Amino acid sequence: MEKQKFLIYRNPGDGSVRYDRFEVPIEKGMDVLDALFYIQDHLDSTLAFRYACRGAVCGSCGMTINKVPMLACKTQISSVNEIIQPIEKFIRSKNIDFIYGDVPAWDREHEILIEPAPNMRVIKDLVVDLEKFWNHFREIEPFFTREWNYKQPESKQSPEQMERIERYVYCILCGLCWACPVSNKNPNYLGPAQLAKASRFVYDSRIQHEKQNSIVSRVMKEDGVPACERYFICNQVCPKNVMPGTAINQELRKDWSKHE
Amino acid sequence: MRLEEFDVVIVGAGLSGLRIGLELSDKYNTAIISKVYPVRSHSINAQGGINAALGNLEEGKDDSPKVHAYDTVKGADFVADQNIAMLMCEEAPKTVLEFESMGTPFSRLENGLINQRPFGGAGFPRTCFAGDRTGHALLHTLYQQCVRFDVKFFDEYFLIDLIKIENNVTGLISLDITSGELVIFRAPSVILATGGFGRIYKRSTNSVINTGDGVGAAFRAGVPMEDCEFVQFHPTTLYGSNILITEGARGEGGLLYNNKHERFMNKYAPEAMELAPRDIVARAIDTEVLEGNAFEDEYVNLDLTHLGADTINKKLPGIREISMHFAGIDPIEEPIPIQPGQHYSMGGIATKYKGDVGETDLNGLWVLGECSCLSVHGANRLGGNSLLETAVFGRLIGKKLKERGLPKSFSTNMLKGAEEQVLNNVEELFSRWQNNEGKKPAEIRDEMGSIMNSNVGVFRNEKDMQVALDTLRQLQKDFKEVHVDTSDRKFNYGLTRTLELRSMLDIAEVTTYAALWRKESRGAHFRRDFDTRNDENFLVHSIVSRGKNGDLELKTKPVILGIFEVKEREY
Repeated sequence: MEKQKFLIYRNPGDGSVRYDRFEVPIEKGMDVLDALFYIQDHLDSTLAFRYACRGAVCGSCGMTINKVPMLACKTQISSVNEIIQPIEKFIRSKNIDFIYGDVPAWDREHEILIEPAPNMRVIKDLVVDLEKFWNHFREIEPFFTREWNYKQPESKQSPEQMERIERYVYCILCGLCWACPVSNKNPNYLGPAQLAKASRFVYDSRIQHEKQNSIVSRVMKEDGVPACERYFICNQVCPKNVMPGTAINQELRKDWSKHE
Repeated sequence: MRLEEFDVVIVGAGLSGLRIGLELSDKYNTAIISKVYPVRSHSINAQGGINAALGNLEEGKDDSPKVHAYDTVKGADFVADQNIAMLMCEEAPKTVLEFESMGTPFSRLENGLINQRPFGGAGFPRTCFAGDRTGHALLHTLYQQCVRFDVKFFDEYFLIDLIKIENNVTGLISLDITSGELVIFRAPSVILATGGFGRIYKRSTNSVINTGDGVGAAFRAGVPMEDCEFVQFHPTTLYGSNILITEGARGEGGLLYNNKHERFMNKYAPEAMELAPRDIVARAIDTEVLEGNAFEDEYVNLDLTHLGADTINKKLPGIREISMHFAGIDPIEEPIPIQPGQHYSMGGIATKYKGDVGETDLNGLWVLGECSCLSVHGANRLGGNSLLETAVFGRLIGKKLKERGLPKSFSTNMLKGAEEQVLNNVEELFSRWQNNEGKKPAEIRDEMGSIMNSNVGVFRNEKDMQVALDTLRQLQKDFKEVHVDTSDRKFNYGLTRTLELRSMLDIAEVTTYAALWRKESRGAHFRRDFDTRNDENFLVHSIVSRGKNGDLELKTKPVILGIFEVKEREY
């Protein structure tokens, strides 16, 4: 049976970092998440990584694969380099390198390198601390404040008005867009996913004016939209094509810069 | 060990857990614990929609909650409790309106009202949807409202066991996955909303986390399982990975073809064709496979190409993405290869006969959603009714709990005594697993999944199921000797997956046991050796518990009838 080699970042949580090598027998259609399960099941049960849906909708398995932030379940082993190549090229063009530790002689031809998601504190192996990510999410107060209604008819919205926000609705909050260099250097930066989520509410035709105003006021502060430096890494690494960078610059910045 | 005290503890943060959490948090000191972040819960995977007789389409103007309820009961092959099904359907429009007011981005009609699509087994276009990512839209909506009302969460806590005194629940013991600490939640009221247990099967559309942790915990605490023989196999899962391809794809006009390019559904359901209920379509596909009419002897085709790029991109964008990423196929150009796979557990934790909805025989323990058997889905659930069930009963059971007030508590000494006992049991279990020298958990899990798939699947018979039961009993023995490293409990998924297996083995055993007992064919439970329905002997719920000697015992519970006449099911 064909085998694939993996070189995997390990960190028991005490600050010590090492890289372990594993060999996994490959079946047709296997993705990186399947391989991690194989390792956990048969080679080292202590290997830690998050998972849930294995179908690229839950946002659990964000990590760095061959130096590119990806969802493990969405990355087919047979075509891993093909999948990541355009993103990698873009990241290189911005002179960005994600460094987690001293990688021992990585044989890129034959080994898949797995490291945690970028710019977040590692708790154990591939599990990162998302507390700040969720705090910043709550910070934008991402919710409707209308009273709950039980009577027909429902409030109306045209198909076009719904499509206007659809892209942002389906952000899965995986956190990969925090690969942004601004997230790295500025711990207060709200973050691309959070700002895209703000767009989801600000541009919803049903939002109450007051609520719209309060979200806009929050995200137009210094640590929000103005902090974005237009790297557009978020647009590249997003596994769901949410395009947070476009939301930030073509919409929020353009429409609300003069907002009081 | 750490102790947390609440009035109510909810386990599970999918749609059921979040909705009941929203209902209860304004009155009680409430906590929701979940083994994953709330938006990672399996509800996120739901695609097609949520049923409500809104009548927004011209073709649906004669629809009503009563017709919806009849379709539900008929789809269930009449083994659903009719009063509960009726209640759910009456409350359905309110539930969809509530979601809309909370901000759910439903797909819309040109006139601005919520759009509705036809679904299997339904008399009218009744399924409200948000593209083909309805679960995502609803789950995020509820989570947003939880943020709004500051609902208290304990993320990444794993339920191990319930704690009880005599016949009263007094809390639960959990593993804080992040710190590795054992945490006791003390509460006079515990609600299980832990979802389904599809992962007892090898081929399932379910998330990897759907392992029946709540069902297992309740069962070990003496609460039986109800109707577990009724397992839904979704007809259209992606060949290979078994990722769900929504029924909405057929609702929008998708057609099924075998390798002779025949629309074979005309042999099985000449009227409803592709939109017959799921059990019928799944059996039709597996029959085609067995008769040599499948591609590569494994799958048939779901063809969407005639729908055109615009419909596919607007109404089924998620399906296109899944097909492209997980099968390398663009459904605008080519048909999707599909095969049936386990999808939904109609059965679950047994509820009290003639009790309040969601009440169990263990005082203070309430259940809802897929982990429970309320029972609205009977022997076969209709598409679009599972999302509905979660939100309707989250709201109603929450209100009922507030009305009834909290159960009486026990003295601190008694509570401590019960908690210490459970804590010692768990410590002992973990050190046994550390010191054992038997099989790896994955070996046992793989064997369980394979035998369930091959012997307790779409087509069943006595001999195969007896083999499965014997195998599962051997696996239970093997599990007593299972070895896993429990020395470092922090983010030890090897450990949590072993805890999951502990529950799944019980559920698999009960499923097989009840399926052997039910000597008839009804809904999703189809036996080649008893291929017709037998109302005289089996128009009842199965209730399975473990006796004192460790053997399984089966009782029956009457089905609540009286609204609709029990008839033959034809489509």
